[in-house]
Amino acid sequence: MGIAVQSFWDVIVLLALAIAVAPWFGSYLGRVYMDRPLPGDVVLTPIESAIYRLLGTSPRRQMSAREYMVALLLVNGGMLFFLWWFFFQQASLPFNPTGVPNMTWDLAFHSAASFTTNTDYTHFTNESQISFGSLDIAWQLALFLSAATGLCVMAAMIRGFVRKDGTLGNYYVDMVRTISRVLLPVAFVSGIILVVMGVPETWTASVIAHPITGGTQTIYLGPVASWQSISWLGTNGGGWYSANAAMPLANPTAFSNLFSIFLFLLIAFSAPFAFGQIIRNRGEAWPLMGTVLIVFVVAYGLFVAFQAMNNPALASVHGLGPQINGYPVGQETRWSLPEASLGQVASVYANVGANNMDIGALSPVAQMVLLFGMFTQSTPGGEGTGFGTLLLFTVLAIFVGGLMVGRTPEYLGNKIETGHVKWAALALLIHPATILIPFLVSIAGGFVQVDGSTLPATAHNFTAVLYEFTSESANNGSALSTGAFNDTTPFFNVAGALVMLVGRFVPIWAMLKVGDLFSRQEVLPPSAGTLKTASGTFTIYLTLFLIITSALLFLPVLAMGPLAQIVGGM
Amino acid sequence: MASVPPGSGAHVPVRRTPHTSPVRVLGQSFRMFSPRHQFHRPVMFCVYVLFLLLVVLTLYPAAFPDVAHSYHPSYYLSVTVILFLTLWFANLSEAIAEAQGRAQADSLREIRSGIRARQIRPDGSEQWVASDVLRIGDTVEIRAGESVPIDGDVIQGVAVIDESMMTGESEPVTRESGGDKTSVLGGTRVVQGTARVRVSAVRGESFLDRLIRLVEGQGREPTPNELALGVLLYAFTIALFIVVVSFIFLANFTSIIAIDIATIVSLFVCLMPTTIGSLLPAIGISGINRVAKANVIAKSGKAVEAAGDLDVLILDKTGTITIGNRLATQFVPAPDVPMPELLGAALLSAAVDDTPEGKSVVRLAARRNAPVQRLDPGTYKVIPFSAERRTSGLVLQNGTEYLKGSVKAIEAIAGSIPPALQAEADKASRQGMTPLAVAVNKRVLGLVLFKDVVKPGIRDRLHELKTMGIRTIMCTGDNRLTAAAIAQESGVDEFMAEAKPETKLTLIQREKAQGRLVAMTGDGTNDAPALARADVGLAMNSGTSAAKEAGNMVDLDNDPTKLIEVVSIGKQLLITRGALTTFSITNDVAKYFAIIPALFIAAGAATLPGIQVLNLMGLTNPQLAVLSALLFNAVIIPFLIPLALWGVPFRPRSAIDLLRRNLLYYGIGGLVSAFVGIKLVYIALSYFAAQPFFVGLGTAIAHVLPLGGL
Repeated sequence: MGIAVQSFWDVIVLLALAIAVAPWFGSYLGRVYMDRPLPGDVVLTPIESAIYRLLGTSPRRQMSAREYMVALLLVNGGMLFFLWWFFFQQASLPFNPTGVPNMTWDLAFHSAASFTTNTDYTHFTNESQISFGSLDIAWQLALFLSAATGLCVMAAMIRGFVRKDGTLGNYYVDMVRTISRVLLPVAFVSGIILVVMGVPETWTASVIAHPITGGTQTIYLGPVASWQSISWLGTNGGGWYSANAAMPLANPTAFSNLFSIFLFLLIAFSAPFAFGQIIRNRGEAWPLMGTVLIVFVVAYGLFVAFQAMNNPALASVHGLGPQINGYPVGQETRWSLPEASLGQVASVYANVGANNMDIGALSPVAQMVLLFGMFTQSTPGGEGTGFGTLLLFTVLAIFVGGLMVGRTPEYLGNKIETGHVKWAALALLIHPATILIPFLVSIAGGFVQVDGSTLPATAHNFTAVLYEFTSESANNGSALSTGAFNDTTPFFNVAGALVMLVGRFVPIWAMLKVGDLFSRQEVLPPSAGTLKTASGTFTIYLTLFLIITSALLFLPVLAMGPLAQIVGGM
Repeated sequence: MASVPPGSGAHVPVRRTPHTSPVRVLGQSFRMFSPRHQFHRPVMFCVYVLFLLLVVLTLYPAAFPDVAHSYHPSYYLSVTVILFLTLWFANLSEAIAEAQGRAQADSLREIRSGIRARQIRPDGSEQWVASDVLRIGDTVEIRAGESVPIDGDVIQGVAVIDESMMTGESEPVTRESGGDKTSVLGGTRVVQGTARVRVSAVRGESFLDRLIRLVEGQGREPTPNELALGVLLYAFTIALFIVVVSFIFLANFTSIIAIDIATIVSLFVCLMPTTIGSLLPAIGISGINRVAKANVIAKSGKAVEAAGDLDVLILDKTGTITIGNRLATQFVPAPDVPMPELLGAALLSAAVDDTPEGKSVVRLAARRNAPVQRLDPGTYKVIPFSAERRTSGLVLQNGTEYLKGSVKAIEAIAGSIPPALQAEADKASRQGMTPLAVAVNKRVLGLVLFKDVVKPGIRDRLHELKTMGIRTIMCTGDNRLTAAAIAQESGVDEFMAEAKPETKLTLIQREKAQGRLVAMTGDGTNDAPALARADVGLAMNSGTSAAKEAGNMVDLDNDPTKLIEVVSIGKQLLITRGALTTFSITNDVAKYFAIIPALFIAAGAATLPGIQVLNLMGLTNPQLAVLSALLFNAVIIPFLIPLALWGVPFRPRSAIDLLRRNLLYYGIGGLVSAFVGIKLVYIALSYFAAQPFFVGLGTAIAHVLPLGGL
């Protein structure tokens, strides 16, 4: 039964490498936000200072949570508008050699919201609907800025644990340093590695190929390597090509596939260690990292196991014969099942959203595994915000667990009070709301259509719509299957854009708010009566808390979609 | 002269009063169905609204044509009844907790007049009055053996007063009119003398009233942790509401899941944290009650919670760590005095001394087989202790004078002390003991050494505190050596010797500056600022009203060791909340596995293979499955009421050990018990549903209720 599962050795080596690099890279990441001396200061500090002067700010100017949020909204709002205007006007703007027409206002809105929020869910086909200028200037700018914004929020929230003056940092300084010290250098090196592996990096727009089948084929080219490296590193997940990581030119070799997975996980796995560095207590990184790893590895195991199983429904189809290869449909055939699965699970769990499989063709359990990753959003979750979400979960877990040891719960000496619970709960509450409310409206309003007629109400179709809103709410960007229903309508563009914006900025505000509350609290010295968070028991508790609360809130969601498919035997 | 004995302290036993009668509690539990009462309980209010909805649905189903399917009417009636039970059980838990509080308040009212004073009226006559009725400027008389009823100033006479319960100083102090040694503290004991005292502070009537209101549960504000937990439960409920509403809407668009409004309501109620939501008020009230049961009145629930959070306890040496009075531990004869002679003399010198010190000399001498001499009444004359001479003893008829007293005083009487004995006395002082000399007819026979004795069991309790991560600091007026010896023996973490009244305040400020939560006990007016500053200030009931106003708890037994007990109760309160929340959450997992398959089975998916994966409990009848989950959700509440009222079992352990245990008991326990419980309820329901009586009942209901016609 099942397909012959190739050896897992390369997958294991890759994961081990990502975990091994994390403490080192994490402590570097932490030092970036602590204003510590770093390699490269000689060259970069003067440039950064010049940029600060240009922006009219200074590292000495520290912001409260409210000021930080205002600055963040200013930059992100500006970016949203700029992207919308660029896409809406792209036909008449420069760098449009292929003569791509303007996007409609609603598609431009959806795309702009999608890129601003680090979601990179696309309702268009790259090759025919987005100009080179839109792709390589507007969108690429967003790849950097949205990833940096997430990391800034994480840094600001963590600072709340150690600062006691009510400030969380300077958003502009954090943005500049994130880009100059983290994203640009790593993306530059990874870009070169990708070029070496055969990813195009050129200003030539296209070449004409003459395939042996006759006729001609236009192959689009461009600065793909530099684009793709930041898309993966920044957990954006957009593809220079529509086919994303399944396109041979974007992902040419087995090694480039593994390398892309490494980039997905690099910053996400490093975040707990950056946290440990900033709070000057490295031991506290491990329970969070442990929770991420346990959920991630179990999810991966389930995914592979169910993909390797045969579809019970097919067995009953007369004349088909015994099925031998599990669910091969939609899987990039160049990779083995373990490789492709790791790419898919890592992409969704790290909120990248770059597909290298057709999610619509996955086994329902595998689909559930992916949906679950988007429900938690924190194992490891997207750039910066994933870790922020994990901290919010931790706050709630400590609240309940802390009560169980008979003390007012505290995390790292900070008491957890009504305010913290309120904001943490709001951030987690907003997620099912932004999934289910638009889901209901779209079903009840008859907006789910294929070729102009309402889609039959099957579990599979529900899953497709659910997946879209889940992906947008989680700022994930993976799509169940393009074309399952028509999502390029004004309704899905506007609803999707709003879901992404709410799903992004409400939790961000909650994270800053929790950081703000911590930054105004006295730190209590630990005692034997304090719940020790740097322990195996706490790690397991946090893992179970995260799994059970997510499952309780989202199981009914699963029941409507994939679970119904399982019950129905597909 | 009125001969009412003065009330010393007040023990308040919890007795059965009309308030705890089952009828009254039941009545109260039904009165709580009023919408106004329900509105203040976020989670249970949702259940209340849904219950009303189902009443309408059961009686008038035509109002819900789309979502009420044609199940048997007894199904809807059952859901309605179970919802009613859920609400009622919640009311019951709160009513029981409140009844316990009221019983406590009744007992409190009785002690209002418990502390009495001998008032001297302007015309010079005496009268016994309750100390609460005293006003500033009134005059009372205090006599040897009585308690000082209230803070005041001596205006006439001299009194020797034992203030050890107050200041920790074991040596009695002399208070006389004039000068700056006039003030006496309420709750201290008069050892000798008679004095008139002008009242300088009033035991506020309102103070006791406030305590009574508190234990009755009126004016009880939710504590910060309770509020935070409420927010979490609220958020959870809202999220589930969104989920459940989307189910209802989807029902119109799909045939995958059968949606019936009673089923959906059941699902919602099952998943809502009703278990913890319903018990939350009872847990809070019973926290105060449990403290009250230990004869401690907490002025707020917040104070009880704070007790669980304490990092540092500041303990008085005297009364808390040591028994409070120095006891004789050793006899040292002078050179060339045989031991039996010293023992005999010491025994006689202390024979008529009623102080604990004196009694301890008698006890010790008897244990050492002192030669016993018969003392007939009238054959001797008592030489009472006086503050001036600092000696006491007796004179026999034959003129032999037996005296004991401070080494200095005896030296003055005898003219000299043998140098060897003086050396022994100095050595004993250095070791923290108090030497007294014994003389017969001005001949010094030897020394009796007195020592502070550590309370039995205190070492273990201090060790428990250490396990819970609480540091103890002992405060004493004694010198460093004495303090160090006691600290060593009792196992306190730190000690402050030669402490003055303001030392405690300084200590509290020092610890609080480092972010620690501090508790202390006290009863003197001197203690008031420190009591007010401490996170938990346990005032003794015998103390001054200023102290009692300042503290946030009052111990009716005047036992400072109670502080340790209060810490455990505070911790238990928080643990109970956390444990029941965990239990509530893990219970939900099993409920999902009961109801979600039921939704599919009801839609006709019973034969599909996938259903077996979900239907772990093998519940084949969808309506009975839903009812089982809902009924389990209701009956778990009365099962947990004892836990809510008495708190979860608690033994001092390290935090991580507690987490591990409680996760196992209430986390895993909640998971397993719900699976087992729902299955058992299902088996029971299936059995009853098949009985002719219930089948008949169902048919009867179908005739009465209009739903069958749909």
